Amino acid sequence: MPDQPLQPFSPPTALLAYLPSGFSIGIVITWVLYVVFAFWAVYTIVAIYHWLKYSHASWVAFPAIAVHLIVSFALISYALSGQAFFLSNYLP
Amino acid sequence: MKEFELEPGEHVVLQVRKHWLLFIASFLPYAILAIIPFVIPNVLTLAPPMAAYAAFFDYTTPIMRAALGVWLLVVWTSAWGSFTRYFLNVWVLTNQRIVNIKQRRYFSREVSGLFLSRVQDVTTDVTGVLYSLIGIGDIKVQTAGEEQEFVMRGIPRPEQMRDVILRYVSVGPKAPGV
Repeated sequence: MPDQPLQPFSPPTALLAYLPSGFSIGIVITWVLYVVFAFWAVYTIVAIYHWLKYSHASWVAFPAIAVHLIVSFALISYALSGQAFFLSNYLP
Repeated sequence: MKEFELEPGEHVVLQVRKHWLLFIASFLPYAILAIIPFVIPNVLTLAPPMAAYAAFFDYTTPIMRAALGVWLLVVWTSAWGSFTRYFLNVWVLTNQRIVNIKQRRYFSREVSGLFLSRVQDVTTDVTGVLYSLIGIGDIKVQTAGEEQEFVMRGIPRPEQMRDVILRYVSVGPKAPGV
């Protein structure tokens, strides 16, 4: 088998050429974000339900929920607008 | 606690969870996942044929920033879920019984109780150099006959826990079975 030079592979953006007509990268990203945030919301609601039902008497419950919501909203804000608030120093 | 009601005269002596070091260890995969997007561009630049692809990881562009934000959100939420499950798994020792609360995953919770009057033996098992140095081990509570045995793994200072259990076994009131 002859040696072949390493062939460059197509960048991920090349896949955008296969999008059906009427779809744009903006629409795809918007829907991906909708799905991710919907999953996040459901997961968070389920976890908070467990915290409140089983550990409502613990002093850890509400700080844990608050920290999760604050960090999550900062990350969501970063994904949507680039504004990460208190996480700005740690993100590019 | 909503899982069980305390009997008249019953009070909670202590609650025990897995050692926090084991919890931190379970966090490591999430930490690694979180830094992967920052490491990949640096690794690519080290391999000359792949160096050109490092430019794709430019997080100043809206698409890559959104991707990074989503990635970190998923990792963070998963890690927080791990903490939630860690915290909801607990052993509760009262002056009358031991209650073992297992939260395997969301909507899968098992609460079982064992009256101290039925305890026959409490065994601790500390295995390994690290566990011996830090004081992490397992406790096995056995009862007579074919009753179930309780095992809690990775708890801090198991010998002290065993002593506390045995103290209440010896002084506790005789109670009916579970």
